Amino acid sequence: MADSLIIKNLNASIGDRQILKNFSLTIPKGEVHAIMGPNGTGKSTLAKVLAGHPDYTVQSGEATLDGQPILGQEPDSIARAGLFLAFQYPSEIPGVTIANFIRAALIARQEKGAPFDAKAYYAELYAKMDALKMDRKFTSRFVNEGFSGGEKKRCEILQMMMLKPKYAVLDETDSGLDIDALRIVSEGVNHMRGPSIGCLVITHYQRLLEYIVPDRVHIMYDGHIVHSGGKELAVELEAKGYDWVKKELASA
Amino acid sequence: MSENDESQAQREAIEVDRTKGDFKYAEDYAFDAGVGLNPQVIDYISKVKGEDPWILEFRQKALKIFSDMPMPTHWATQDLDAINFDAIRYYLAKGQKPVRTWEEVPDDVKETFERLGIPESERKFLAGVEAQFDSEAVYSRMKDELEKQGVIFCGPTEGLRDHPDIFRKWFGKVIPAGDNKFAALNSAVFSGGSFIYVPKGVKVAQPLQAYFRINAENFGQFERTLIIADEGSEVTYMEGCTAPKFETATLHSAVVELVALKGAKIQYITVQNWSANVFNLVTKRGVAEEDAEVRWIDCNIGSRLTMKYPGVVLRGKRARGEVLSIALANDGQHQDTGAKMIHAADETSSNIIAKSISVGAGRSTYRGLVHMPKTLKNCKNNTECDALLINEHSRTDTYPAISVRGQKNSVQHEASVSKVSAEQIFYMMQRGLSEGEAMSLAVNGFVNDLVKEFPMEYSVELKRLIELQMEGSVG
Amino acid sequence: MQSPLDSRLQEAETQRFATQDWFAELRRQGWQQFSSLPLPKRTDEKWRFSDTRSLSLEHFCLAGVPSDEVVDRLIAQSHFISRPSGLLVHIDGHCVLRPALAPELATQGVKFESFEDALRHHPALLKEYILKHCAGLGGEKFLALHQAWLRSGTVLYVPKNVEIKQPFVSVHWTATEGVAIFPHTLVIAEDGAKVTLHDFQCSAEPQLRALAISAADLYAGKGATISRLAVQAWGLATQSFEIANTCGAKESLITSVNAALGARRARLENTIRIQGEGADVRLYGISVATGEQEFDQRTLQVHDAGNAKSDLLFKNVLLDKARTIFSGLIKVAPDAQRTDAYQTNRNLLLSPEAEADSLPGLEIEANDVKCSHGATTGQVNPEELFYLLARGIPLPVAQELLAEGFLEEVLAKVDDEEAAAVVREMFRQKFHS
Repeated sequence: MADSLIIKNLNASIGDRQILKNFSLTIPKGEVHAIMGPNGTGKSTLAKVLAGHPDYTVQSGEATLDGQPILGQEPDSIARAGLFLAFQYPSEIPGVTIANFIRAALIARQEKGAPFDAKAYYAELYAKMDALKMDRKFTSRFVNEGFSGGEKKRCEILQMMMLKPKYAVLDETDSGLDIDALRIVSEGVNHMRGPSIGCLVITHYQRLLEYIVPDRVHIMYDGHIVHSGGKELAVELEAKGYDWVKKELASA
Repeated sequence: MSENDESQAQREAIEVDRTKGDFKYAEDYAFDAGVGLNPQVIDYISKVKGEDPWILEFRQKALKIFSDMPMPTHWATQDLDAINFDAIRYYLAKGQKPVRTWEEVPDDVKETFERLGIPESERKFLAGVEAQFDSEAVYSRMKDELEKQGVIFCGPTEGLRDHPDIFRKWFGKVIPAGDNKFAALNSAVFSGGSFIYVPKGVKVAQPLQAYFRINAENFGQFERTLIIADEGSEVTYMEGCTAPKFETATLHSAVVELVALKGAKIQYITVQNWSANVFNLVTKRGVAEEDAEVRWIDCNIGSRLTMKYPGVVLRGKRARGEVLSIALANDGQHQDTGAKMIHAADETSSNIIAKSISVGAGRSTYRGLVHMPKTLKNCKNNTECDALLINEHSRTDTYPAISVRGQKNSVQHEASVSKVSAEQIFYMMQRGLSEGEAMSLAVNGFVNDLVKEFPMEYSVELKRLIELQMEGSVG
Repeated sequence: MQSPLDSRLQEAETQRFATQDWFAELRRQGWQQFSSLPLPKRTDEKWRFSDTRSLSLEHFCLAGVPSDEVVDRLIAQSHFISRPSGLLVHIDGHCVLRPALAPELATQGVKFESFEDALRHHPALLKEYILKHCAGLGGEKFLALHQAWLRSGTVLYVPKNVEIKQPFVSVHWTATEGVAIFPHTLVIAEDGAKVTLHDFQCSAEPQLRALAISAADLYAGKGATISRLAVQAWGLATQSFEIANTCGAKESLITSVNAALGARRARLENTIRIQGEGADVRLYGISVATGEQEFDQRTLQVHDAGNAKSDLLFKNVLLDKARTIFSGLIKVAPDAQRTDAYQTNRNLLLSPEAEADSLPGLEIEANDVKCSHGATTGQVNPEELFYLLARGIPLPVAQELLAEGFLEEVLAKVDDEEAAAVVREMFRQKFHS
């Protein structure tokens, strides 16, 4: 299973609060998995830990990207290794335009000193912006600054499409989106689906999964996966509510 | 009672209060060092107090420093030059030993403090009281249980004589005599004030209070306070002050040193309401060791000129320092106040919130210092200073100095100047308040978040003082 | 020819202006004043935090006319923007390029001349406007020295209601080791006039030792608009002082952007004087300080007239052992009611050895005002940094991007996009050097 994102027995904390407890999950390339779970169960922590956020401490466990270990690496190395995190709350970067930002990220993936094809870059950037129904003027706007919730999420998907990761973690991408924006963002993700990418969709609601239909659904509670199933699990969960998780699955 | 009667009654109540501190009794003193300042005056004070030779030496050295140092008028107001050091009396006392019951206090002095409501406050909410009349404390009493726990609450003479092992180590160390001209003056002629020691782990639940009263004209009061909170202990100290209105200038120049050892907390609250002829030139600084906290709550309403910048030296890891400051400057007043935060250990944090109100031709000045050297990391400072200008020629100045190096240190300073908005006043007047009442409400609203930090009894007093000052500010 | 800056030379040089009594007198007064004033000390409140120990005015000289080779080479490097209304180039205090003004500008009465030419052609104008204000922010001795040796610079005069879109450009070079120059910039926009001037200060060689004491006088008449971009890009062995005075009459609009890149130490003293109601004066500064550079910025916003606005924003990026000092004061006179005045200083520390000092001050004597100041000093925001890293951008690149983004807020205030791009690129180069 070299072609997978594999997380094994991961334990991680922030400050003195233990959040991930023996978390394990495997996402084979080409598949889309969803993690659902109540608030505060550690879903976003998982995303941040995989991306190497400095606020979190990993006590034990491992995570590999196509066999390459990523825990303990610098966030930029992990990203260049092929992991993309679509943030729940993307940062505003004042003064840095979207065009310059994505260019810098692409140049970081090139061999040092290799020439950068600016023409091809803009052609691709504009094409993807058109697909996401983003105004081309956005290229000269500063990253996320003054963006609406929907614009921020679209900007995340644009970056994902431009950077072409091997694995993408989408953290609550549906939060703050109206139904139109949700459809556009989902189309963007679906457009990228295929044998060369694995996706992990983190969400609190089943709604997003009507648009991005997952291959597998996992229920997370108290820092680890308590139940896994097919896409129908999301529907079941929606019907029974999270109390069901807390009462039945957690004790199982 | 109709509304009119009620507001009339309120005004009357206020009228009585306005002159609360403005009365005096005949001066008859057993001890008087005479007029002017010279080495003989120092000898006299030290001799009367029966001090050890090292204290006399400390005093004489300080006098020399004082004489050699120039007036700080190159940055401070020229008004300082109005002080005539040769016309001041530096030591006046009726007796040498404070008594422990109000009954033993001489009648005129007792009446003074009763009119100021001190014995009543003591019964209601204080753990201990010291009352100073001109140069010496006349009354000092602390609850018995605190004494049993080993808390010391006395004056500098007793402190240095009876507990040298505790106090001598820190005396003059947080604020050396040469710190500034007025610290030097205090070091030369200090008398009265509080020396407090709180033993390890003792948490003094109710505040200790000192009350400073100037009764004599042409007089200088120079109390000296040193508070040591041993590891893990907690104490709140409050000071109040009044003086009658004299025609001539009066000088008050105190030195206050605070030492919060590991994990200790000291909160020092001042409500300064000197009459408008007092030069109030005070040096206040605290040292906070590891995990300790020093908090100054400083409220300046009275005096002709106040110069006071309470500081905290954050000497131990994770130490915290805070200055909350309210200043109100009316006609003829200059409140030159501020704060200093000297970061000297990692992960220390400090907070300064200063609010000033200038009324009439009053002038308020904020001076701040925040220092983070390059050896430190993860230190934080936040400073906010807001000035409210009431009348056309009210004045405010802000002079912060911020110096930052090191790793992951961050400093944020914000200041604003504004007036009470006409909309706000109109809104309140439409609800039936007079313009003056509306203004007074708005001003109380402006300082409300800081007033909340004061103990209840004090915040009520403070609000009333502010209302008094605001009276007649519009029209 | 190189001669030390002594009394004999000063007098000999001053004799050259014998036909202009008032000017010769002005220079002599300057020299007298310079000689009588002490060098500033660190304990002087106006020099607080400055490294006054390394202040030295010794061992500098005046330089002769540069060779043709130098002139050709440096003029070729002086074309910062493509189509200026006029380009004046000075090398070592000698004017080497003075192009004829376009006829349509000349007929309207516009003047864009070197200081020496203007002194010959319009002495009354200079007499009325130059050096009318004392330094006031601590640079008295330096301004006196400027006055004593004053002879070169740029004079831009725009008559009533003449609006000129394309910027004028003035470039000052130093090209001789140990040279001292004293360039003066005078901009007068009469009522309703509109003009832009870009000032560039550069060294022919990066390690050239030099002393530059510049002064600028800007006057905007009623309803006039002046935009000035001043780019200080001296070599790293230069000591630079600039003392600028900006006066805004009723309803004038003045924008001044000061970019600091070069010099071992550079002190900028900038005073804004609001003299008429409705004036709007904006003063901005950006710098990237590296190595052991010291950028010392002192500003004063004087509101003598009410109902007017001033805005100030200084942003500094610090690396290595660099130091920046920002000391600003807003002064609102007792009758200047309905004043809006702002002052912000933001410092980005990219090295633990760097030091940012901030002295933001207010003196307010009117009550109906909106005034505020803010100062922050800190590192890059960790969440912003993580966001960039999470996209695979390496740490040094991420920091540089964030620093450039930090400067962008000020660069956006430069109306001339071509010039803004030039300055942006200069900063980028500096990051990479």
